[in-house]
Order: sequence, then structure tokens, then C-alpha cells
Amino acid sequence: MTALQGPVLQGPGANPWRGLPAAGLAIVVVIAAASIAPAQGYYLNILMQAATYAIGVLGLVVVLGYCGQISIAQAAFFGLGAYAVALGTVDFHINFFVALFIGVVISGVCGLVLGLGTLRLGGHYLGMITISFQQILTLVLTNWIDFTHGPDGVRNVPRPNVFGVSLEDGRAYLGLILVAAVLVTLFVWRLKASRLGRAMQAVRDNELAASTSGINVYGTKVVAFGISAVLGAIGGGLFSGGFRYISPDQFSFGDSIVMLTMALLGGATSPFGALVGTVVLVLLPEWLRFLKQIYLAVYGASVILIMVFLPDGLWGFVDARTRKRVTTITGAVPPLPLLAQKGEATDEAVLVVADLAKHFGGLKAVDGVNLTVRRGTVHALIGPNGSGKTTFINVVTGLYEATGGKITFVGQDITTLAPHRRNRAGLARTYQNIRVFRGMTVLENVMIGAERQGNDVAHDPKAVVLRALAALDFVEMRGDAHRLVGDLSYGHQRYVEIARALASSPHTLLLDEPAAGLNLTEKVELGNLLKRLKGHGLTIMIIDHDMKLVESVADHITVLNFGKRIADGTPQDVLSHPDVIAAYLGEPRNEAA
Amino acid sequence: MNDFLQLVFQGLGIGAIYALVSLGFVLLIRAASVVNFGQGEFSMLGAYLLVVFFNLWGIPYLIGMVLSVIIMAGFGLIFAYCTYWPLRFRGGLPVIISTIGASIFLQNMVLFLYGPSSVPVDDLFDTPGIQIGEVFLASQYLAIIVIAALLVGLQYFIFEKTLLGKKLQATSQDKEMASLLGIPVVLMIMITFAYSSALGGLAGMLVAPILFVSVNMAGIITLKAFAANIIGGYGSIPGAILGGLALGVAETLGAAYISVPYKDAFAFLMLLAFLMVRPQGLFGEKISEKA
Amino acid sequence: MLLTRRSALLSAAAVSTFAAGGARAAETMKIGVVSPLTGPVAEPGRIQLNSIRIAAEKINAAGGVLGQQIELIVEDDQSTNPGAVLAFSRLAERKEIVGFVGSIRSTQMNAMAPDMLKVGKPVMFGGTDPTLTKLGNPWLFRCRPNDGYSGRVIVSFITGSMKLKKVALIHSTDAFGTGGKNAILANLEKMGLAPVLVQGYTNNQPDFSPVVLAVKSSGADVIVSYFTNEPDCAVFARQLRQLGVRTPWVGSPSIQSPVTRGLAKNALYGTYAVADFVEDSNPTAKAFADAYRAKHKESPDSGWTYDALTILAKGINDAKSTEPQKIRAAILAIKKFPGTEGEYNFDQFGDGLHGYNIVINNNDKIDYKEHIEFTD
Repeated sequence: MTALQGPVLQGPGANPWRGLPAAGLAIVVVIAAASIAPAQGYYLNILMQAATYAIGVLGLVVVLGYCGQISIAQAAFFGLGAYAVALGTVDFHINFFVALFIGVVISGVCGLVLGLGTLRLGGHYLGMITISFQQILTLVLTNWIDFTHGPDGVRNVPRPNVFGVSLEDGRAYLGLILVAAVLVTLFVWRLKASRLGRAMQAVRDNELAASTSGINVYGTKVVAFGISAVLGAIGGGLFSGGFRYISPDQFSFGDSIVMLTMALLGGATSPFGALVGTVVLVLLPEWLRFLKQIYLAVYGASVILIMVFLPDGLWGFVDARTRKRVTTITGAVPPLPLLAQKGEATDEAVLVVADLAKHFGGLKAVDGVNLTVRRGTVHALIGPNGSGKTTFINVVTGLYEATGGKITFVGQDITTLAPHRRNRAGLARTYQNIRVFRGMTVLENVMIGAERQGNDVAHDPKAVVLRALAALDFVEMRGDAHRLVGDLSYGHQRYVEIARALASSPHTLLLDEPAAGLNLTEKVELGNLLKRLKGHGLTIMIIDHDMKLVESVADHITVLNFGKRIADGTPQDVLSHPDVIAAYLGEPRNEAA
Repeated sequence: MNDFLQLVFQGLGIGAIYALVSLGFVLLIRAASVVNFGQGEFSMLGAYLLVVFFNLWGIPYLIGMVLSVIIMAGFGLIFAYCTYWPLRFRGGLPVIISTIGASIFLQNMVLFLYGPSSVPVDDLFDTPGIQIGEVFLASQYLAIIVIAALLVGLQYFIFEKTLLGKKLQATSQDKEMASLLGIPVVLMIMITFAYSSALGGLAGMLVAPILFVSVNMAGIITLKAFAANIIGGYGSIPGAILGGLALGVAETLGAAYISVPYKDAFAFLMLLAFLMVRPQGLFGEKISEKA
Repeated sequence: MLLTRRSALLSAAAVSTFAAGGARAAETMKIGVVSPLTGPVAEPGRIQLNSIRIAAEKINAAGGVLGQQIELIVEDDQSTNPGAVLAFSRLAERKEIVGFVGSIRSTQMNAMAPDMLKVGKPVMFGGTDPTLTKLGNPWLFRCRPNDGYSGRVIVSFITGSMKLKKVALIHSTDAFGTGGKNAILANLEKMGLAPVLVQGYTNNQPDFSPVVLAVKSSGADVIVSYFTNEPDCAVFARQLRQLGVRTPWVGSPSIQSPVTRGLAKNALYGTYAVADFVEDSNPTAKAFADAYRAKHKESPDSGWTYDALTILAKGINDAKSTEPQKIRAAILAIKKFPGTEGEYNFDQFGDGLHGYNIVINNNDKIDYKEHIEFTD
């Protein structure tokens, strides 16, 4: 085995030093810049506003850009941080950083509680609940006069000492804010290429596929929202010391909308986009002064125009046009350890489904099906359209709750487990309508599979990259590793989806109509791929209409019709079964050969 | 007791307003899966149209209202063309954000054209209201309650008893299947935008005599209507109505017997409670996703 | 830092005085103005700006300040607090500016006050939060009566002229309403009275029936109100009358503004209000209003910015210098000076006015009723 050099290790997230030199340089630059900034006045205020807002907007990058959840309360979290610092230092005379920490904790807890309550539901619910939180916070800040000073706000917020050096001077404090902004940017940037960051993006791109790729969708969303609340509070706390005067109207619904716009304008999927968006929108009122009254109307219209014409924001637009071609990753990698799960075809049952039922109201989509998949075999599930095949797979993988029956996988009862828990137990699947993470690269898609919890390489970032490359090698797609999946052809996306499943070293792979939508050549290639997998001894359950494909690979066939099992056995037995012939002849179709 | 009845009446009046605005939301959510943050601006524009027709041009009140409703229906199409159409394949989030942009744009264009001052509009009826014992029923509130009831009836009739309604329902339930059945899905969505805009405009005209006409007149009402929508059941028509009424009564009683300054908080606390405990709302279906 | 800037300023002032004396050059006396040009309060901002320009023209026609013509440098505060801070910091960078006219909104003044202290030049302002002049900031001079006086005048009018004692107090929970509430409570307490109802509300309410019913059942014989937004006041007034409450009502200035009267119509007939600017209350106000009408074809509803510039100019002329400390001393020395808002007698804190007018809404016509002035 060849030792791997350079480029491989630069797969995303594998380099612990990534970005640190640039961040160090940026810190030196911002401190130098702060020291020549004016000590007070307009430009200092503008710079402080931009830098602190940027930290808050970076929080939105995490929750909105990475995780795809809409939060309309960033100004509220910003306000929590600001009030913690202001009230803590002015009224309770505690240290600036202790007060900031308290604010961060309070904000983080609020974020977690709100997230835990709503993120189990669809996307818009978070939007709703954050609006409510925003409104209630504004009411409390305004009306709880004894504690918050009410609408008068808090004035003369002090600035802290760092290592005995007073930051009372505007330039010194600006330096602190800018360093914080650089560090937060670094954190958010590195988060994107981390395991957690990939999980967030997977949730954003396709929740179902994320859940069946071992990602705890709910937990990931809650964490993303929590991080955004924490970053909001950090930005707000620093803002408080910078502006030195805060009042409830600075943290209103309108300000949350402004922050949202900043993130989107710059490009919510990149921390640099957030920086660009913030700076532009802080400066825009200055540039658009000549527009006077219609300034905000122009602003509103530009939000729509950005959404339509620059879906990835200003940064996304520039980035897409200047991105250098990434060199192809060369060098041999250890092959997929498919044999690790294999044995010769044995009698050992891997997946045992007993009396499985799924009813939608009166419709019995799956009605008491029994089925056993044995290790090292290819088990085909066939049946006419609407016979309940896909429903069956959805129940087995946990997307639907079973109405009755029991599913045992590798000796474990998984009937009530969440989808990601089933995947972690070694159950991987693909979808009839391809579900890949379109906003991520081919390599990142496959890495998500490789780093599923429970996989042997999951805790070593370098090994994850190697495993992902091995899976890509298996489907012969390494050359496309750095392309966005969304740019690939349908057939190639199918391979990415299969590679993602393979990289997770599954005990059993469920393929839901893998040949659907493929052209003739692609179907032949797919057939060859399946034979290779079979040759390696991987346990596979396949659903397809293409009888040629099924006959050529299946060791065992189960036939469903109207949700019931009508036949089960070897291909020869099953395909000559009169009920099966009737079922297929009853419904004329092209694929049924 | 008299005070209590009076408060309940006021609450129902306000609640009927929430319900009307909420109804507009629901239709768009159902037909196009769009959460429209510009819904409040439909109401604001409707009210300004009435101001222009009735206050400025002297067109008779009812004719002015009818004209405004027709124009608002057309405006709904323009709105859909600008905010929904170009983004329809990109999921819910981009559309939500572009409706936020549209909301900012419309508010500020109106601010620029008509200034920030509130404008009064006459009541629908000349008589201020009916006095029953100690309880006073303001005529405009009565009008709102009656019109809201009529619209619910009309909507029920259209959706359940007409072919158009069936097509609209099919579109809202499954666009792919609807188009396979030969239903012009695009047309259905456009009709929904037009209807939702007209409905929002009508709601604006009805509340104009109570709240006066200004750029921000619909802001808090829209948020409450949102809340009503969730409380009643996301995307449910009876839910929108009952959620709105329940919210109106609850917050009026809450203000009277608990705290006036925190009145707005009651709505949002109710919303939080529902989201945490019963996210499907009063009438919603259990939330599940399609694989 | 402070020292060097001041000495630089001194020499700059010396140079400009010299230039002005030498050649009556185009050198102007620059005054910075923070004003809402955009945002929700842009409309009153426009009237305030018109008023201050009338003052500048009058002063310039009379020979200017220290022989120089006044030039106004206006910055937009966007109707927000951060906007105000940014606007002021832009002005503060221009060393040639000798004094400022600040905001009518107290929260904006609170936000800008630390920077104003640092800059160390006189700021004339209109925010009525009583604490603003008690912050230990020597550079703030108020050209409207503060809310302490509005509360005192209202209480004095109720207990004196009206002979009423049972007060129901309705106030917005924002900065303005809360300040007003505190002033009323403090002054009632001085008279040994307690209100029968104190009811706060949040701005932009569609319905005030709970408040109206609370007033009704409180047994109050007079309503005192601090409404911030005109529609709120009008909604309350209409519901008050609809639900049959005819209790006398004395309110803060917003209940007699043209917009509120236009919205509430007859629901506000017969109500009293305190008013800082009333055209008929004194000859200066009358003359200013006539000048304003001649130029802008509408009546002004405020004159404080006119007074602010007039007094700042008088201060500089009296001091015969643009040195901030001297201007400050000169302004504090101003007594019995007739302004549009009343007679200015600056006290040690920088408050110029110590009284209010009471007006009554007689079938949509605002009539001057009386002026209540305090000397302590």
C-alpha cells in the first residue's frame, strides 16, 4: 500500500492546521488596522457596528446557510448578549467577560429550548417560533423596567481590561472586536468542513437522506440553532461595549430581518459571504443616501433580486467564478473493506421482518409481510406498481412508523428505532428518486457515509477521506470528487448515492429501484456494479422492475402484491409461480420481460 | 359580567380580523406551500386603495371597495410573478425570503408616496353601533364578524362544491398528481395568489376605519394572524378561523384581567405553548413527511 | 488628546475670527444638526428642519454670528438610535463646527450623550426626559420643557383649575410614556394624592377596550394620558366615547396634534392638553408661525429648533467667542429671553423652560387656555 501524500490529506476537515496561518495573519492585520483607525467618531462606530453585527450574522450562516433552518430572531440573541454585558457591568458590577459569558449561556439555553421544542417539526415552525421569541423579548426588555431600565436603555457600558491593559480607548476595543470576528470566522469556516458541519449541510440538502445516512437530523438542527444563538450573544455583548448605550429598539424584529438579509446578500453558505454582506449593508445606507426616502424600498427590492439572480449571494457569485480547479486526488487508497462484513452465503439471517404492517388510514400499504434476508445474498423484492415495495423499505429504514410487526436486524430489534439509529446499526439505503446532498461535493457526500457513527473509520478524519475515496474508486468516480453533486448527470448521481452507502460499510444495502431513470448503457453498467458487489459478498436487498437485472443478480426473490407477500423463494420457483405471473400479466408493463 | 361580555365581543371582533388575514395565509400555504410574509402588505395596500378611491377621488364607498378588491386580485398575480414564480423550484426558504423583501419594498414605497401619518377612513355604516344593555356593539366590528362568516361560507362552498375548488384542492394536496390529472397547476396557484391578495385587501379595508390607514397598520396583525394559523392548525381553514377568534378573545381577556402591557405576549406565549405541546394545532393533521 | 484638540480648536477659532474681522470673507459659522430625514419620524423632522432654517435666515439677515453667516450642516439620524450615534459622530469629526442641534427624541439623546460629552461643545436639544440634563454632561441645553414640568403642569391644572382629584393615568410603556408616568406620580405624591388607576400599554394596539373598561370601573374623575403614537390615542379616544365614558381628559401634546384630531374627530372634543408650542401663547410664537406659513403654506406644530438656533447664536454673540466654555457660560446666563416655546430662563442644569401651556380642543379648534410657569 502506498503511503499517501499531500493532496489527499487536504481533503476537507482532515488538516487540523487548516486556516490557522491565515487567521493568524488576519489577526495581525486587524490589530494593525485598528491601531491606525480613528480613536472615536463616525468611522470607528461604523467599524464596530460592522464587526459586531458580522459575528451575529456568522451565527446565521451556521443555522441558515449550513443547516437550512430559518431563524428570525438573531437580533433577539444579539440583544440577550448585549443586555447581559450592559446590565452585568453597569448594575451588578461584574467583570465584562464574566457578564459576556453569562449572556452567552443564557442565549445558548434559550436557543436550545426553542430548538428542542420546534425543530422536530418542519422548517417554517422555527421561523414562527423565533418571531414569537423576538416579540416577547422586545416586550420584556421594554416593560420589565426595574431590571432592564425599560425603554430608556442602559448607558455608559464600560469596556474591559485584557491582561491588565485597558481597552477603554476606542482603537484598542476595536482591536478586540476585530480579533473576535476573525476567530469566529475561522471557527465557522472550519465548522463547515468538519463532521458536524457536513451533517448540517446534509440536513439542509436532504433531511431524509441525512437521517438514513446515520445523521441525527433533529439533534444536528438543535446544535446548529444553539451555535447561532451563542454567536449572536457574543456579537451583541461586544456591541454593547462598543456602542456603550443600548435600548430595546436596537434589537427588534426589523433588526433580525436586517441580519437575515446581510447573511443572504453576502451568501449564507460561507462565513466570508456573511462578512461581505454585513459590511455592504452597514455601508449601504451611506452609499444610498442620495435615494433618501426610497432607500429601504430599494433595499427590499434588492433582496428579491438577490434571491432570484444571485441565489448564493455576492460571495457565492464571486467564489463560483474565481474558484480554482482543484487538482485530482492521486495515489492509491486501501480498498473498500467489503469483505469485513462478508461470509459466504450462509444461513445466518441478517434482516428478519415478521408480520410487518403499515396502514395509511384504511389503506393497507403493507399488510403482514414476512421476509428474511440472509448474509451474503442478494434478495430481490418485486411486485407491480403500488404493491407496497417502497413503503416496505421506508418502514424497514424507519422513515415510516410500522403499524404492526417486528423488524430484527443483526439480532437487534430495530422496529421502533429512529432512521439514523438503524443506519448506525449498519443498514444503508438508496432512493428511487435519487437523494443526494446537492450543495456538497461528491467527496463530501461520500464522506458522510464513511463517517457514520459505528463505522470503523468514523473517528479518524484522514481515514474517512481515504474510505470515501475507496468508495469512489469502486464506482469509478474519483475524477469527479471535487465537483458539486448537483452538477452531475442523473446516472452519476446514482453512483454517488451508492458510493455513500458503500463507504458506510453496511451490513445490508437496500437499493430502491436503482435502475429507475437510467438509460440503457447506464443500466448495463449498474448491472455490472451489482455483480461486483455480489462478488464481494455484500448483503443486498434490491427493489426493481427490470426483471433482467433482478434475474441476473438475485439469489432470492420475494413478491408483493396489494401489500401482501404472494411468493417467496429462489428465482426459478418464484418467476414460474402462477400468482406472480397473474400479478404481472394483470398489469401490462414494458419492463416486465 | 357586562364588562366580560363587552370584552368577549371586542375579542371576537379583533379575532375576526386575525381570522380574515389568517385565511389568506392558509390558502397560499395549501396551494403553493408558500409562507407569505407579505400578506400584511396586501391588507395595507387594500386599505390605501380605499383611501385613494373614497377619500381622494370621492368614488362611493362600496364601489371603491369592489374596485380595490379587483385591483388587489390583479396585484396578487404581479406579486406571484415577482416573488414566487422565479423561485418556485428552489424550495420554501428562498420564496419566504423574497416575500420578506417584497414586504419591505411595498411598505417603503407606500411610505414614500403617502408619508408616515395615519389616515382616517369612514365606517362602513353610518350608525356607530348597537347598545344592548351595558354592552356596546360597534357596527364596524359587527360588519367584520358577519363578513368573515360569509367569506368562510363562500370559501367552503367554492372548495367543496365546485369543480374549481376541487382542482384547487387537488393542486394543494399533490402538485405532481394534479398535473398528471390534467389540472393546470400553474393557473391554480396563480388563482390562489389572486384570491389571497384580494382577501387580504378586503381585510385591510374592513379594519381601516378601526385602526386607520398607515404603512404599519398590518404589522402586528399579520404576526398575530400567523400565530392564529398555527394555533388553529397549520394550513387548516376552520383552524384559521377558530384560531383567530380564540386568539382575539384570549388576548383581550388576558389584557383585561392579567396585564395590558404584556397583551401582545399572550398571543406569542399561546403560540409557543401550542408548538411545544400540540404542534398540529386545534385542527391540523398530524405532521408527517413523504419519503 | 483632549488638550491638543482643544488648543487646535482655539487656534482655529482665532484664525477664523481674524479672517472674518479682516475681510468679511465667505467663512461661515457652522452648526451641526442631527435630524431624521428618513424613517418613520421623517415628517416631523422636515418641519423641524424648516423651522431651524427660518431661524438661520433671520439671524443671517440681522448680520449673522460674530460677523459670520450661519451655515447648517445636517446629518440624517434615520429615525433610529444607532443612526443618531453615527450621524453625530460624522458631525463631531468636523472640527469647524462650533455647536450642535440634537434630537427631539430622548432615547437618541441618551445614545449620543457620551459622544457629546467627549466632543465638548454645546448641544441644543428637544428630548424631554428629565434625567438628560442631570447626567453630569455640561454640554446639553434643553429648548423644550422637560416631562417633569409637563407632569407638574398637568397635576397643577387638574388640582388647581379643574379641582379634580381621582386620576386615571394611561401611558405608553415606551421611554416617553414611562417618563411622563413617573413625573405625574411624583407630582401627585407631592400633593398627597394617589392615582385610582395607572395603566401602561404597548404601542400600536388595535384595541383599547380593556383599558377603557378599567378606566370606567376605576371611578376616576379625570383621565391623564401619555400617548406616543397618534393612532393609539385616536383608537383609545373613540372607544372611550363609544363605551360611554365622558370623564374629563388632560393629555400630553400628542392628543392635540393635527393628525390625532383628524383620526379621532369628535372623540377628542373638549379634551385638554399640555403643549409646549402654541401659536397664540406669545408674540414670538405668533411671529414665527406667520413667517413659517408665509414660506411653507402650512402651520408649524413645533418651534423648538427655531429657539435652539436662536439661543445658540445669542450665546455665541454674548460670549463674543466660539470657545465652548464661554458659549456655555453665556447660554446659562440667558434669562427672560422670549422664545416660541415660552420664556427662557436657563437653570444650572441647562433646562431653559420651566412651564407649559394648557390648550383645549374646542370642536377641532385648539384654543390657548393658560400658561403655567414654575420658578423653582
